[in-house]
Amino acid sequence: MQGASSGIGYGLKYQARCISDVKADTDHTTFLAGTLSLKEENEVHLIRLSSSGTELFCEGLFSHPNEIWDLVSCPFDQRIFSTVYSNGETYGAAIWQIPELYGELNSPQLEKITSLDNHVGKIKCILWWPSGRHDKLISIDEENLYLWSLDVSKKTAQIQSQDSAGMPHKISGGAWDPHDVNSVAATYESSLQLWDVRAMGKTISIECSHVRSVDYHPKRNHVLVTAEHESGIHIWDLRKPKVPIQELPGHTHWTWIVKCNPEYDGMILSAGTDSTVNLWLASLGNDDLSTESQAESPTHWVDPLLNTYSDYEDSIYGLTWSSREPWIFASLSYDGRVVVESVKPFISKK
Amino acid sequence: MGSDGDDDAPLLLDAKAKRMRDLLSSFYAPNPSMPSHSHTDSSKHSSPDDINSSSFDPNHYMNILANNSNLEGLLKRHVDMAAEIKNLDTDLQMLVYENYNKFISATDTIKRMKSNILGMEGNMEYLLDKSRSDSVNTSLFEKREHIEKLHRTCNLLRKVQFIYDLPDRLGKCIKSEAYADAVRFYTGAMPIFKAYGDSSFHDCKRASDEAIAIIVKNLEGKLFSDSEPIQVRAEAALLLKQLNFPVENLKAKLLERLEHSFKDSQLNPEEIKNASPSAHEVAIREFAEAIRAFRVIFPDSETQLVEIAKDLITRDFVITEEYVTTRICATDLLGVLRVIWNESLLMDEVLQEEALSNHFLEGAKAAVKLYVESSFSQLLLDISDCLLKVLKRDEAEEYSLQVARDASTKLALQGGRNILLDVCKILDDDSGIIDKLRELIIDWVQEGLQDFFRKLEDQFQSFSGKNNSSATQIHGLTEAAAFAGLVLVLAQLSAFIEQTAIPKINDELAVSFSAGSDRGYEYGPAFIPGDISRKFRSAGEKFLQQYINIRTQRISLLQKKRFATPKWVKHKEPREVHMFVDLFLQELKVIGNEVKQVLPQDTRKHRRSNASSASSKSNSFREEKLLLRSNTQRARSQLLETHLAKLFKQKVEIFTKVEYTQESVVTTIVKLCLKSLQEFVRLQTFNRSGFQQIQLDIQFLRSPLREIVEDEAVMDFLLDEVIVAATERCLDPIPLEAPILDKLIQAKLAKSSDQNTSPSS
Repeated sequence: MQGASSGIGYGLKYQARCISDVKADTDHTTFLAGTLSLKEENEVHLIRLSSSGTELFCEGLFSHPNEIWDLVSCPFDQRIFSTVYSNGETYGAAIWQIPELYGELNSPQLEKITSLDNHVGKIKCILWWPSGRHDKLISIDEENLYLWSLDVSKKTAQIQSQDSAGMPHKISGGAWDPHDVNSVAATYESSLQLWDVRAMGKTISIECSHVRSVDYHPKRNHVLVTAEHESGIHIWDLRKPKVPIQELPGHTHWTWIVKCNPEYDGMILSAGTDSTVNLWLASLGNDDLSTESQAESPTHWVDPLLNTYSDYEDSIYGLTWSSREPWIFASLSYDGRVVVESVKPFISKK
Repeated sequence: MGSDGDDDAPLLLDAKAKRMRDLLSSFYAPNPSMPSHSHTDSSKHSSPDDINSSSFDPNHYMNILANNSNLEGLLKRHVDMAAEIKNLDTDLQMLVYENYNKFISATDTIKRMKSNILGMEGNMEYLLDKSRSDSVNTSLFEKREHIEKLHRTCNLLRKVQFIYDLPDRLGKCIKSEAYADAVRFYTGAMPIFKAYGDSSFHDCKRASDEAIAIIVKNLEGKLFSDSEPIQVRAEAALLLKQLNFPVENLKAKLLERLEHSFKDSQLNPEEIKNASPSAHEVAIREFAEAIRAFRVIFPDSETQLVEIAKDLITRDFVITEEYVTTRICATDLLGVLRVIWNESLLMDEVLQEEALSNHFLEGAKAAVKLYVESSFSQLLLDISDCLLKVLKRDEAEEYSLQVARDASTKLALQGGRNILLDVCKILDDDSGIIDKLRELIIDWVQEGLQDFFRKLEDQFQSFSGKNNSSATQIHGLTEAAAFAGLVLVLAQLSAFIEQTAIPKINDELAVSFSAGSDRGYEYGPAFIPGDISRKFRSAGEKFLQQYINIRTQRISLLQKKRFATPKWVKHKEPREVHMFVDLFLQELKVIGNEVKQVLPQDTRKHRRSNASSASSKSNSFREEKLLLRSNTQRARSQLLETHLAKLFKQKVEIFTKVEYTQESVVTTIVKLCLKSLQEFVRLQTFNRSGFQQIQLDIQFLRSPLREIVEDEAVMDFLLDEVIVAATERCLDPIPLEAPILDKLIQAKLAKSSDQNTSPSS
């Protein structure tokens, strides 16, 4: 495949599921990755792309007490991140701070700012508001959704409000609307549910089965992308929640995660359990006339799949764009391999 | 002149005068040289007694000459003189000759004048005579005037007599049916009646009018009676017209009758098929005769007649078009067309109107086009019906997928070819009906085919979209299963159309429909097999994928339930193979059944035969080793080992392209399901018992899967992967001992065979 040689690799020691872009680091392109090992001592890797863009090196290595199921870097402080972890039987979530002067210490320990302790079931993810400094956090477990008020300096986190998912379904993940601090989307087995955080009430619901991942379009209000196990990728306009604007075929096996490019309109990245990363270019059309433009489009239909990166050995669960260099993305396959690729050749095409 | 001085004068004449004389003499001289010579001579010998002067005195001259000259000189003079005289004589002669002609013509003129005058005299005499008879005329004038007056009166009297006689005469004419004479008489008398009808000839007029009324009535009767010969009728019409009768009304009435008459003779396509000289044909012949008569009767009614004829043809075509939509074959259509064609020929013959044949052409065009279109849409409908039966199979008795597949593929190919053959029949028809349409028909067929396949593909898409993922939950499970079958049939049908039907139809098209198309080369032919093939290929692949998706989704649902329900961390020791495995295998069996009905078997050599034993052995060996190792060693080294194993083992292509074979589809589904199984396992954390349960289930799956799957290596790899995933996600991965594993599996096998036998007994 084309993308095979261009990727820059980095190996984690153990299996891993999650990687996050360190958005607050404006000087370097940095990623955080956490390992998933049931029996070993898990680690968090701070990985930095060299300024030449040809090498990945470990900027920091911190041990983490449990296997990490979810890891998100704080969007306004590069030293803070959140993890969801499990010891095999129970789940926990915590906010961590990378210690200062960690380069000088031999085995630096992560400072735990606070843990989000009220959860009972399987915690799925922790959401930071992606668009800037905001003192609220959202944590989602299989049945509930919590809004936390975080005070970093006092090292406390308090539940502000909470809502339950409703009995029959389990939540599998979620995303926080970058355009609206009060709107959160959570994925169910059979639908996508939106919440209004202020009232902690459900708003819109979109029918779609087996949603695995959801991501808001960073530029367009109302547009979000979902990845579903069997039926690929759907792009939705929240104003018309009945039918998707566009459908992309997704992967040969499950489509696990989907990410919108922070800069380039319509560029979507998806990763799946068929050990490939696909780069799509969706034609979203005009903001308000999206359905009409789609009706016209079949005449000059082009393959939305720009490229397939297939140089992986195992299923890919971790995927993130770099917000500093939006043509770069990092992917993490289950065998612990981080691969950073550039999509530049496909941007120039536009 | 009388003096000597005068004789000397010429010497003094100036040069001018002398020259004048020379010119004059030269004019009269026949030879210009002579006078000049003589002149020079004379001037040389000029003397007072000039021989040329009128007062020339010969004696005097002689005296002088004798006195002055010697003999020699005299002799010489004599010779000269003689010569001169001779010369003059000739000159004179010449002059006479010259003027002779003029004299003759003058004489002629005079003669002529004389005769003219003679004629004039005669005329003059005639004139004189005339003046004498005029006087007689005037004397007779009065008498003649009287005679003329009498004559006029006589004429008038005769006319009056005629008018008085008119009614009688008309009556006679009526009796003898000499209407033409009657009309002539009447029209002759008409001016008088007009002038004096109200006064002097009142009774007479009334009587003749009555007679004429009878005549008109009779004429009308003649005009309307079909039994009368045409000539008579035409005459009647003409006479009526002469009588200023409102013929237009009559015409309108007759036309109406004509229209009525042909309305009764409806075209009945069914009849055409049966009886060769159908009632319609007879009616049309009559109608043509009527039109012919009408045309003779009313020569100015042509346009209306053409309209009527056009209406007739239009009406026939309307009927034809209705007929066309009721599934007819080409020969029927041709029969109908031929009838209409004959009809139009007949009309043409009668009316000699270009517009009619054009009209026919238009109608035929529409009819044939409709025929082509309707036969394609009919075929589309047939195929759709055939396919949709699959969905309703639970209502009637089992409508197997195989039947649906066979029927639909047969329809797609055979139906398409039949249409082509049918249209060929139309093309081969040599009766000249469709000569001008041939190219158009070819175009229509091509367009029709293109359209047909496009629509068919649309139809397929709508079938497949009809029942998407959300709908499967709404409808019952049986219907969902039926839907999956439909999708599978669609896939196979698409592949068949792409690989067999389109090339074959294209071949046939090339044979019989290649002849010129007037679309112009820039557009190319309307039917683009490449385009359609591509469409169906992608559609077929899509359907196949959709079928696989539907099936894997169902299994995935099973798996999800399986992994979501128990607390794997607190799992109890495995007692038996989990029920989920049965469900899984059952699903696979259903799939195998469906696939066997629809898709062909893989014709290539099976890999199973030689590779199976070796690979399975090595795999089980590897697995055992792996499990043993994991028992004792830490997980880290184990991970390393799996990595190494993967490195050395060729990267297994799990997701290969699906082919249209039973094995490929089943294998793909199994592969996807096993992969899903692995992913589900990775999301859990197991205790030892949970892990052992997985181990047991997988071990049990091994042999039945081997039976149905084409690529065992991949399957074994995937099964191993599930075990590996479970090992990784297990807190305490100690596998079941082989004997226990065996025992449990045997127990399960025995149980399932019991179940299999019990319902049959």
